[in-house]
Amino acid sequence: MDDVDVALRNRTYALFVELGRAPSLEEAASASGVSIDEAAAGWQRLHDAHALVLHPGSTTLRMANPFAAQLTPYRVHAAGRWWHANCAWDAFGICAALDTDGRIQTACADCGDEIIVDVSNRRPVFDPGVVFHCLVPASQWWDDIVFS
Amino acid sequence: MNLFRSEEHVTRWLDGRTAGATLSASKLCDLAHAWWGDRLAPDWRPHHREQNQSILDSLGLTEPFWQLP
Repeated sequence: MDDVDVALRNRTYALFVELGRAPSLEEAASASGVSIDEAAAGWQRLHDAHALVLHPGSTTLRMANPFAAQLTPYRVHAAGRWWHANCAWDAFGICAALDTDGRIQTACADCGDEIIVDVSNRRPVFDPGVVFHCLVPASQWWDDIVFS
Repeated sequence: MNLFRSEEHVTRWLDGRTAGATLSASKLCDLAHAWWGDRLAPDWRPHHREQNQSILDSLGLTEPFWQLP
């Protein structure tokens, strides 16, 4: 990942927040001042380096972690809008990345009951019983990041 | 990487599978801020493995489960 790729990555993330959704390849290329082909190659290198995640065989963003590009069970209200996170860790990560308070809304993965966690001054306000479970060991997260 | 009502719900959800790691929401919040806090920084640079491992270590996540490749 060279400086040009890092700049493309940083512009892509900034655009995600500006737009409130995942930017298209064309939008990222335009905002970065590079051609669509250059942006596509850059995104692929960033995907390979785990700096973002593309849908398989495409130039469509799936994840700009902690942000999800599509609807997920992890909704986060922060900075005046709703976002989607890839997982529970990322849901808290959206508040962290935006450096703001927020509300995480999801459901217990077991029983489906709603779980709401407010984040205030970097601390969670929650039902004390709520726990986070990570099934896959850290050494294997990127073997299948979507499953992880 | 999911949230559950309680540890009992985790056990039921696992349904006999080997458990991973369970953290409180407070610990997860700390982890998220340490891990993701810089992701929108205009001067963001890629994290090295050692940098990420150091974040986990600093939060007491030192078991083999949390060892990055």
